[in-house]
Amino acid sequence: MATQTSRRARTQPGTTREGAPQEAVHVYHRESQAEQNPLRAGLMLERVPDPCQIVVFGATGDLTARKILPAIYNLRRAGLLPPETTVVGFSRRPLSDDDFRNLAREALNSHSRVPVEDALWEDFAEGIFYHAGQFGERKDFRDLAERMEEIDAARGTRGNRLFYLATPPSAYEDIVGNLGRAGLDRQGQREGWARIVVEKPFGHDLASAGKLNDALMDVFDESQVYRIDHYLGKETVRNLLVFRFGNGIFEPLWNRRYVDHVQITVAEDGGVDGRGAFYEEAGVGRDILQNHLLQVLTLVAMEPPIAFEADALRDEKVRVLRAIDPNWTDARARAQIVRGQYTGGWVGDQQVPGYREEKEVDPESKVETFVALKLEVQNWRWADVPFYLRTGKRLARRATEIAIQFKSPPLMLFGESATPPEPNVLALRIQPDEGIMLRFAAKVPELGLDVRSVNMDFTYGHSFTRDAPEAYETLLLDAMLGDASLFTRADEVEAAWGIVTPLIETWQEWDAKSDPDSEICFYEAGSWGPENADQLIERDGRRWRRL
Amino acid sequence: MTEHAAPVEGNVEIPDPQTSHWQVRADSISDCVDKLGQIWSAAAEQAEEAPMSEETRQAALGDPRLSGRLDANRTIRVRMRTSVLTLVVVAPRPETTERALAAINALHQRHPSRAIVVSPGDFDGPSTTDAHIYAACKLSEHSGAEICTEQILVKTGGELSQHLSRVVQPLLIHDLPVVLWWPDDPPFGTRQFQEIAQVCDRLLVDSGSFADDGTRRLAGLATVVSEGVTVSDIGWLRLRLWRELLAGLFDHPLLGRELEHVRSLRIDVAQPGAVFRLGKAAYLCGWLAAMLGWEGGRPLQRPTEDGEAAHGTFRRGKREIKVEIRPVHTSLDGSMRAAGSLIRVELESRRARCAVRARITRQRDHLLATADWNGAQVTRRAGRLEPFEETPFVAEALERPGLDRIFERSLVRAVRFISG
Repeated sequence: MATQTSRRARTQPGTTREGAPQEAVHVYHRESQAEQNPLRAGLMLERVPDPCQIVVFGATGDLTARKILPAIYNLRRAGLLPPETTVVGFSRRPLSDDDFRNLAREALNSHSRVPVEDALWEDFAEGIFYHAGQFGERKDFRDLAERMEEIDAARGTRGNRLFYLATPPSAYEDIVGNLGRAGLDRQGQREGWARIVVEKPFGHDLASAGKLNDALMDVFDESQVYRIDHYLGKETVRNLLVFRFGNGIFEPLWNRRYVDHVQITVAEDGGVDGRGAFYEEAGVGRDILQNHLLQVLTLVAMEPPIAFEADALRDEKVRVLRAIDPNWTDARARAQIVRGQYTGGWVGDQQVPGYREEKEVDPESKVETFVALKLEVQNWRWADVPFYLRTGKRLARRATEIAIQFKSPPLMLFGESATPPEPNVLALRIQPDEGIMLRFAAKVPELGLDVRSVNMDFTYGHSFTRDAPEAYETLLLDAMLGDASLFTRADEVEAAWGIVTPLIETWQEWDAKSDPDSEICFYEAGSWGPENADQLIERDGRRWRRL
Repeated sequence: MTEHAAPVEGNVEIPDPQTSHWQVRADSISDCVDKLGQIWSAAAEQAEEAPMSEETRQAALGDPRLSGRLDANRTIRVRMRTSVLTLVVVAPRPETTERALAAINALHQRHPSRAIVVSPGDFDGPSTTDAHIYAACKLSEHSGAEICTEQILVKTGGELSQHLSRVVQPLLIHDLPVVLWWPDDPPFGTRQFQEIAQVCDRLLVDSGSFADDGTRRLAGLATVVSEGVTVSDIGWLRLRLWRELLAGLFDHPLLGRELEHVRSLRIDVAQPGAVFRLGKAAYLCGWLAAMLGWEGGRPLQRPTEDGEAAHGTFRRGKREIKVEIRPVHTSLDGSMRAAGSLIRVELESRRARCAVRARITRQRDHLLATADWNGAQVTRRAGRLEPFEETPFVAEALERPGLDRIFERSLVRAVRFISG
């Protein structure tokens, strides 16, 4: 127990810079052979990941087929992984190595972003193995450990292992516990490193997130854990950091002195897509708000990190989350949050059913598919600047955007203009049509003095016409290189749950009481959410941007 | 006047989403500038004047290629021309002009830019200008964004051919990087070269097309680099796979430290004709010398007899590293594609109880790299040969705007090694 406490203590923000985990990361860097090789300088990857075994739990599942295997194959194809790289599938189904290779080939044929080349496939397939076992069975993990020793010797993977949890979260604790019992978590005492990649959701509330973190840290050190939220691997989300901290002209304006408010929208036009049962448990609060939406918020609001390095970045992100009041009183929840659920309607040219008519959904369900809320980041930079967030399913279109609306000029000189100029807006579009837009006022070219707002629009596609890598490729490569910048740290997960859990509990209390004033609001599929969401922002004399 | 390829008329009143293009001829540089202005105002008007019915708007919203171009009011956004650079190509020979234009055509989707191809003619006779302008806007299938590009082919004659910078300067896009691509044998040191190089930010050459055995111009290139010009050389870029594989072999934990103890380097190069081209082999020597801290020893001695090898040495402390570059008479086929191409590279290191031999050999469509440690093979890698065409390398050079320090250091060492 003492070990556990000390491990958890290290993950507190502010202590990590001096703390052990970061030091440990540096040790791995120094040990990496690739860094000692002077011939590597100036080549595409100055540091190539060490050869390793990627052990995928849930190897026959959907995530493995759709994302993980294609990502590894494409990295290999791009020459970013050493040829010794090996994949070991672990699942319950009794399959042979060849059966699993066939499954992998099918998965690549259907999901790889580039067609599979036979010659490369043959080489790749030689490095694919399968180990059948039960997640809860100790012996199966001991056998796995022996098998991995053999593979190390045969393939030259040098004792490096990356465990990937691509299973339902209910299996996480069994797997992690058994990895520990089989001694597969160890690094340092013998050759090689061990890291574990955990897929979201990281718990379903604060308590369960804490429990999962405890289970992980009973076995692994925080520096070995890579919590993956694929959203952070997206090129445009990473670009947000470059936009803010790579340009000199925006950061001076990025504060309460110049910013009137911030709007963040993550809108989806799709419904629950056959995941009714999952959605009944999750709702948009757990599915989007707790992770994607709060992640984007932290990137917009964070202070510049002292270095572009994993713990420095994550320290700053956690500070933003801690500056948000997690105390949702009834009155505050009523005034600052609107939750909604879609009814049937038309999205584009498609007629779609309402949420309650979806498969596996309770016809009386009170689960939210939309949420709009107002948050305040209470620090010196952002005090009194509201952040309006909204996200939902079956909205008018698929769009993710961050809009910074600036304050109006103190005095309006052009009163005679037919339309007063609108405030300046800087909008960062994440999808679709990724780009940046700045709205400013310009004089209409005629004799009078009419002022109109114009948009200066930059689209990434105009200037950069290369394919961005898949988020999973970026993240897997980072995990193999030991760079945790784009992964979520334990305290970050818990801080986000700390904001969202009390909110969800408040809703549950309201629903239990069937209070007519706090019932969920309905909105027609294909609209921009319930009217109450408009009122939420209009009460403050502002309006949602039309996307 | 501007010939405009009219957009295809259909049921939907949207300008042809795929492509619009304009072609026009000009007889002076100022005429050229005017005509470009006319083209872009016509393009902007055409894009603005796209009134849409409700039905059309719905159709456009459902079209992934168009939905990105709709603004908040759901009207088609004004056409925008984005350029990331001006590419200036000097191509004195008609076949080079054609080759350059073909490469530019292949590149324009990836690099929205203005390309100016200057074809200087005979220095004698009256000064003449004949310009062809071609501009096009295309919706990229790839990103759905509209990309507009311009190509200007300027043929000059008479004294004007000596003052190419005067021809090019009025046509440059304000404040964007200018890349000068000289596909043939660039006359480093001449006034014609100096003048145009001065208005450009970066120079792109291919040492594979340098005259003679390539080494004289390589020295000229090193001088250009020493004057502070940022240079990309396609000949150097073509060595990347060799470098990557060699680096990959020494990633192995047993081998990494043996780089300190290299004793010999042997390189085989293709010699299909009479000329023993040494440029690529010299680059590889220069690169290893720069990376491994080899100092100058005995400069490369070229053979007196055809078919013999060239020899030289480097020093590392007291240790001598012997270098041998051997010509291999071969016919050019799918794998042996140009004179001077590397066929085989072998690096040997030796110290007490430890001998390492790292070897890369060119196969039909790939390179095979292996390394032996005391006679036993410990690692093996392969890499697909890159395409022979120059376009992907031009694209790559345009994409990496920064200085390539490793290239510069390797070039300096290579030139020192071949010229002493």
